[in-house]
This record gives sequence, C-alpha cells and structure tokens, in this order.
Amino acid sequence: MSTYVIRRLLLMIPTLLGITLVVFAVMAASPGGISAQSLIEGQNLEPQAKKALEDYYNQLYGLDSPPAIQYLRWLNNASPAGFTFDEENHISGFSLWKGSDLGTSFRYGRPVLELIEERVPITLLLNILSLPFIYTLAIAVGVRAATERGKVFDVGSSALLLGLWSVPVMLTGVLLIGFFASNQYWHWFPTAGLNTREALDMPFLPHWGSLGEAALLLVAGVAGAGAGVGLAKAPRLLRVGLLAGLGMGLGFWMGAGLPHPHLGMSLSLGVLLALIIGGLGYTDYAGLRLGLLGLLGAGLGLTVAAQGGDGEFVRGFLLDRLWHLVLPVLCLTYSGFAFLSKLTRTAVLENLMADYARTARAKGLAENTVLWKHVFRNSLLPLITVSATLLPGLLAGSVIVESIFSIEGMGKLAVEAVQTRDRELVLSITLISGLLTLAGYLIADLCYAIADPRVSYD
Amino acid sequence: MSRAASSPPPPRRGQSYMAQVTRQVLTQWGARLGLAWIGLLGILAVFAPFLASSHPLLLSQDGQMDSPLLRYLSPADVTLLALFFTALILALARASFRAWLGGVGSMLILAGVLSTALVQPPALAIYEQYRQQEAAGDYDWVLYAPIPYSPKDYQRDRGETGLQPPLASPQANHWFGTGENGADVLARMIHASRIALGIGFVATSIALLLGILIGGLMGYLSGVVDIIGMRLVEIFEAVPTLFLLLTFVAFFERSLYLLMVIIGLTSWSGYARYVRAEFLRLRQQDFVQAALACGLPLRSILFRHMLPNGIGPILVAASFGVASAILAEAVLSFLGLGLVDDPSWGQMLNQAVKSSTFNWWMAAFPGGAIFFTVFAYNLIGEALRDAIDPYLKKS
Repeated sequence: MSTYVIRRLLLMIPTLLGITLVVFAVMAASPGGISAQSLIEGQNLEPQAKKALEDYYNQLYGLDSPPAIQYLRWLNNASPAGFTFDEENHISGFSLWKGSDLGTSFRYGRPVLELIEERVPITLLLNILSLPFIYTLAIAVGVRAATERGKVFDVGSSALLLGLWSVPVMLTGVLLIGFFASNQYWHWFPTAGLNTREALDMPFLPHWGSLGEAALLLVAGVAGAGAGVGLAKAPRLLRVGLLAGLGMGLGFWMGAGLPHPHLGMSLSLGVLLALIIGGLGYTDYAGLRLGLLGLLGAGLGLTVAAQGGDGEFVRGFLLDRLWHLVLPVLCLTYSGFAFLSKLTRTAVLENLMADYARTARAKGLAENTVLWKHVFRNSLLPLITVSATLLPGLLAGSVIVESIFSIEGMGKLAVEAVQTRDRELVLSITLISGLLTLAGYLIADLCYAIADPRVSYD
Repeated sequence: MSRAASSPPPPRRGQSYMAQVTRQVLTQWGARLGLAWIGLLGILAVFAPFLASSHPLLLSQDGQMDSPLLRYLSPADVTLLALFFTALILALARASFRAWLGGVGSMLILAGVLSTALVQPPALAIYEQYRQQEAAGDYDWVLYAPIPYSPKDYQRDRGETGLQPPLASPQANHWFGTGENGADVLARMIHASRIALGIGFVATSIALLLGILIGGLMGYLSGVVDIIGMRLVEIFEAVPTLFLLLTFVAFFERSLYLLMVIIGLTSWSGYARYVRAEFLRLRQQDFVQAALACGLPLRSILFRHMLPNGIGPILVAASFGVASAILAEAVLSFLGLGLVDDPSWGQMLNQAVKSSTFNWWMAAFPGGAIFFTVFAYNLIGEALRDAIDPYLKKS
C-alpha cells in the first residue's frame, strides 16, 4: 500500500508540471502576451514614469527575458526545492527546503498566497454547507427510486432529476436573485455579499429584547412544527384539503407582499402553491411528508410570531451570515444533488439484485433490514469515491455562483485573475486546484481500498 | 427504463447495428421530444436571416423590385442554406449514411470556398434608412421578415420617433422585449441559436476526434505511450475545465471559431479515457489478433476493426458532451468572456440583473432556450444509453 501511495505521489509531479506548463504556454502564446508594456497599458502616465514602471516590472518578474527562462524562474520560485539567488540575481546555491514562493499578484500587489488564504475559507464555507444537503437528499431520493424501480416515483424522479440537471446554475441564480432578492418582487434575501456592514458590529448570536419574546418564538416554532406533523398524519382527504387551503392563503399573502399587488398574480400564486403543498400532502412517502410539512409549519409559526414582536431584535452575525448564504447554497446544492442521486440509484439497484441480498431475504430478514443494513452499506462505496472528487469540482462550480452573488471567494478571484491577466495569480490558482484534484483522486482510491476489502493496490 | 425499453422492438434481419439503435432510440418519447427541439433550432438557425432581419425581404421602389435581404446575405448564411438543402435532398433520396456524409462534407467545402469568394455583402448596414424611406412614402410596397429587426439593430424602433428605451419589457412591437442596447431579444435569440448549435457540434467533434486518436493509440500500443498519454489526460482533467477555458479565452482574441476549437481542446480527455479502456479490452479479442495476423496496417486495425466495436458508449458520452459544450459557451458569455457583439444566449442572460433591476424577460427567454437545448441533448443521450448499454436495458 505505502509503495502505491509513494508511486502515486511521485506521478503527481509530472502532472503538476504539465498543468502549469500548459497554462503558462497559453499565456505566453496569446497575442500581446504578458510583458511589462501590456501591464501598464492604458494608464495615464508621463513617459518617464511609464519607463520607470516598466523597468520595475521587468526587474520584479523578469518579464523581459524569453518565456522559457520566465517559466523556469517561476517554477524555481514555486517549488519547495531549488536554487537560491543572492541580491544580484546570481545563483548562490541549491537548497532542498528553501520554501515555495508563489509570487506577487500584478493587480493587487500582494503576495498570492495571502490572497488565496483569504479567499479559500469563503469558498469552502459555501461548499461544506451545501454538501450535507446534497447527500441527504440524494440518498433519500436515490434509495427510494431504486426500491421502486419502474414505478411512478422512479420514472417521475428520474425525469425530474434529468431536468434539474439541465437547468444552468446561472439561470437559477439569476431567477432567485430576481424574484427573492430584488425589491421589484419579494425582498426577502440580500442580493450580494456575505454579510451586511452592520452585522460586523453585532454580537455573534441573535438575541431579543425580552425573554418573553424569545420564548414566544420558540413556542410558536414548536407549535407550528407540531401542527405540520399532525397534519401530515391526518387522513389523506382531510390533509390534502387543508394543505391546499393553506397554500392558497400563502399565495395570496405573497401576492399582497409585492410592491405592486396584482389580483391575477396573487391568484396564480395561490393556485400554484395550493398545488405544490396539496401535492405534498397527497404523496405516500411518509418521511418526506412529515419532514417537509414539519419544516413548513415551523417556518410559518416563526414568521407569525416574529410579526407580533416589538422589534427589539438584533439579528446577530451568525443569522446574518446564514441569511446571506441561503440562495448561493441553494444554487450549489441542486446541481450536485441531481448527479449524486442518479449515482445512488444505480448503486443500490445493482446491490439489490446481488446474490447476498437474495440470501438475506431468503433467510427471512425484513425488507427494510436488507435494504439499510446490507444493501445500503455496500452501495455507499461509489458515494465515498465521488465525495473525494466532489470537492475540487465544487471549487470550480462556485465560479458561477460567486460571480452571480458577488461573493469574494476563490471562484471570483479566478475570474478576476484571468480578466486582468494576472499571471502569478492564474498560475498559482491552477497549481492549487490541480493539486486539490489530484489529491482528491488519490484519497478516493485509498478510501475505496479501505472500504472494500476486495480492492488492493499491491 | 420506461416501458419502451423493457420491450424493445424485435431486431430486423439484415438491419445494421446503427439502424437498430436509431429505431430503439426513436421509440422513446423523451428522445423524440429532444430531437424535435433540436430540429426546430436547426431550422431557426438556417433560416435566421429570413425570420429576423431589418432588411426588407422584398420591396418595390419606382416600379422596380429589390431585395436588400439577399444583397446582405453573408457567406456563412449562404453556406448554411446550401448545406441544409443538400442534406434535405440526400435525405429525401434515401441516400446511405456514407453518401449523405460525403455529400454534405463536399458541399461544405464547395459552398464555403465559393461563397467566401463570391458573396460580398456591403460592409455597412444602416437599418434606419428603410423605415425612414417607408415613412416618407418612397416605396410602393415593402415586405418585411416576420420579426423586422436585425440582431444588431440597436436603439431604433418602428412607428415611434427617437430612441427607444433599452431593456423594455415585452410589448406588441418587441414580443420578447429589448436588450440593454435596445436590440430586439427575439431577433437576437434566433440568430444566437446558430452559435449554440454550431459550438455544440463542432467543439464536440474536435474533442471526439482528439479523444479517439489519443485514446485509441494509448489503448492499442499501451506501454510507454500509455503512460505518457495518461499523464496528458490527467493534466487536462486535473484543472477544472471551466478554469482552463477561462484562461484560454481571456488570453486570446474572441472569435467564434477559436471558441469552438478551445472548447474542443479542453474537453477531449474524457473521451480518450473511454476509448483507451475500450481498446485495452478489445485488443485481447480474437478478431483483432486475426486482423493483426493478416498483416493489416495499423490504420485499418484501429479504425476499421476496433473502433466500430467500441463506438457505442463513446457516442453516448458525446451526446452529453454536446450539452456541456453549449453550457460552457453560455457560461463564458455569461461571465463576459464570450463573443463581443454577436448574439449569444448566455450573454443575454447576463443582462437579466443589470443595474440592480430585474429584467425577467432577459432571464426567462434566453435562459429557457439554454435549458431546453441542454435538456434535449441530455434526453437524447439518456435514450441512446438505454439503447446501447445492454446491462442497463435489463434494469
């Protein structure tokens, strides 16, 4: 095993070299390329100042030497082992542990590493928040679809998932911002950024003026959730009727919340919500029904209670941050969810037909025990593998989400870096994302070997 | 996995594998809907200038007939039209797939060369002149296209004086509203279907070609070639495609053809992996060994004997690949790194939340077009996989 890991680690070196070489070659071969001249182009400077700035850039980044030398120079700086230079740029020696220096960004004038260290946590926050949603939803839907192969739920969910998979993230983002964040419709969420300015001065946790109000909120939330769950357990006819009525009411309430209320809009919203919530009550999937209706009830209870408060409420940093994250996380969740639940379905299906599942059933085990104790555990294998490769993919996926919601993360940094031709930044971001991806692949393979005793790499 | 898949039509005697697969794909409703949407887009793309143009189709001035539209047709328009009619005639004549491919291919070269040499539309188009002359009564009669706006016909409007406000919501004059410069959204969308379709097909073809070539050589020769090839594949896989694309596009000029090549160049690695795995499996089989023993040249073994036996799963991947190529172009345009002035769905979608107001028509129509096109290719890919993959067919 350890020899395998070492071999894989060594094979990563040529790949990483190749990645940077490809990206460097693209930048060097582009018309205009990157030179000190192109960097200060468009700045209104005196000829003398221009010359001085050019000389400064040439000195700093070696932009006047041939591309091959520039690449080698960058490589030497970035790699942890390499030549060291003295004051006059002459080679002074060779060191194995000189530490790697990713250079200074052209645009920001700050060390690249510092910039990346600032941005990575934000992107990670976005992605780590969306992962639990992706997995819970995908496992719930995927397992259910596999056990009901060929029935309404399976056919319906796979058509729906394919549709969901085809919706471009930018369309979802734009629609969510447009309807739920702009002040032309419901101004429920903020349009951009990660927190409001005031939130920085707030305490971390939300707090209320009086204890009574907090208690009221708590009671209302719990009561709402209880009512939702109770409704979900009621006989079908009753619950569908009540829920449809509730949906209608909600639609009208939303219609009244518009800046320019319009009867047709309210009516169509009411019918739409009545259909959705009523349909939720109609479904046979008890877990889904209980969970979603409970959440809906809790949300409604909280909203109603909050309307009655006297406004002595401080949102707090945490709630503000979460409030900003709802829409971006929603965008990131749905695309990964569609992909993963298809994978879960295939894996569970494969194992349901396997011999050991048949044996377990023949032994007299309940179908649920077979499904969750035997089949599901074995179906987790492909999910483990994917999870290791998901993270670098999500880093790339957040490019769009971060651009739409103006979140200062890695994705936005990457777009800005290529747009401003910031060579050091572009090279470093590719190097880091490449490293992450390769590490992800390696971890996936190792997890596979740990989880499945049949796999060995010796 | 629907009912259609569980009871496949009985294979006809003497029918080729490809024809069987096609027949089975066509039994599925999803695939039919997808193909219908792509067909509609294709027709919109070919006849775009006749559907949406500010140049009158026909007009009569002082008793003389004239067609400004024909005068302003570009070489690309003429080539597309020629291709479409060749393909139509060959399809109606029930030509074989090979004859069809050859006919369309030679027509592409012929029409492409001839039209660039012969068709020279006037460099400058002033769309306003027609409306002014019509208003002044210079024309006896004018016949306009159904949507009387060109994609780059900015800031002017029919029947009203002065500048039309940009980003106006849909009204009687502009069915889908106007964009940020005041151009008609529907006209731009019709012309943008060309870019969407073209990028999808050409980029995927380039990626497929590269992938098959590199993957085939890797799988067949194995050894050192395989190790080097796999590093190359890994390099292109380890950088997220979107990021590589961004880098390419940001550092080169923005041109449609370059965009196609770049999207193709960044997405071949998946196909190469597929082909390599497939060829590694096929290499051991008897018919390849027999072909080798007969002393056939490498080219023949690789492309005549091995490739047709491994092409199935690759075609499925290619069909999903077209969808992701279209999506890639849309994302680039959305981020403002696409084509500069040419109409593109992604670039129009970008205008939906400009200047803090929400222009719902800019999100609904271009965004909807992207969604339906991507969905159509995914549906076709799904149906193709059900038809080709015998394992999934069972389930």
